[in-house]
Amino acid sequence: MSLSQALKISDSKSWSYIFNTVALLAICGSLAEAFYYQIFMNELPCPLCQLQRVALTMAGIGMMLNMRFGPSAVHYALILASAMGGATASVRQILLHIEPGDAGYGSELFGLHFYTWSFISFLVMMVFCSVMLCIDRNNMTAAFKTATKGLTVLVMYLFLTLTAANTVTSVMVCKFGSCPDNPTEYLWKF
Amino acid sequence: MIMMLPFFTALLAIWFAIRGHRPVAITAWVITFVIYLGWLKYHITDKLNISL
Repeated sequence: MSLSQALKISDSKSWSYIFNTVALLAICGSLAEAFYYQIFMNELPCPLCQLQRVALTMAGIGMMLNMRFGPSAVHYALILASAMGGATASVRQILLHIEPGDAGYGSELFGLHFYTWSFISFLVMMVFCSVMLCIDRNNMTAAFKTATKGLTVLVMYLFLTLTAANTVTSVMVCKFGSCPDNPTEYLWKF
Repeated sequence: MIMMLPFFTALLAIWFAIRGHRPVAITAWVITFVIYLGWLKYHITDKLNISL
């Protein structure tokens, strides 16, 4: 079974559909990985980390709109704006820890801190939009609902679940005010 | 300002997108982005005590 058959798509927009689904899956992976470190390694997200999660989620919404309603320049504009916002937050955090001898915030993954990976992922997102705008140049139509079936529905609901979980844990970390700069414990425990 | 707010409005955007309400989903995204910019301005201009 080919990938397009697994995703139950057969029209000319199939590659756009597949790429956006894979990109959304990658965002789900990033959010899930952040949760893994939060829950199992007890690394609570700092305010800038939370902002980067929001930016990832906002970019994911643009990808989901492409999957759900077909490719549109507006949807790619949402992804680009999210990527620029997220890159700003991650650069701010990189610069906070740029001084020699600074251990940085949180764990490293393959030698880089998560906020550095975050910056790289936002740059990749910008490249993704550039490439997809070329691929989809003849598919930009007035948005219409597309039938989403198979694996893509699972990916969308996984994204919804992760965002709901982020909503709950942001309250647990920050309560209903601004977040602590260096959180070490949950302010609100069930 | 509540950090939960942008996550919540993003959640609404996702929900409306799944339900097929594109204009509402995009409106929720715009609200999320405005809140995000508010938080971002706060955290890039405020002194953060995270280099501990």
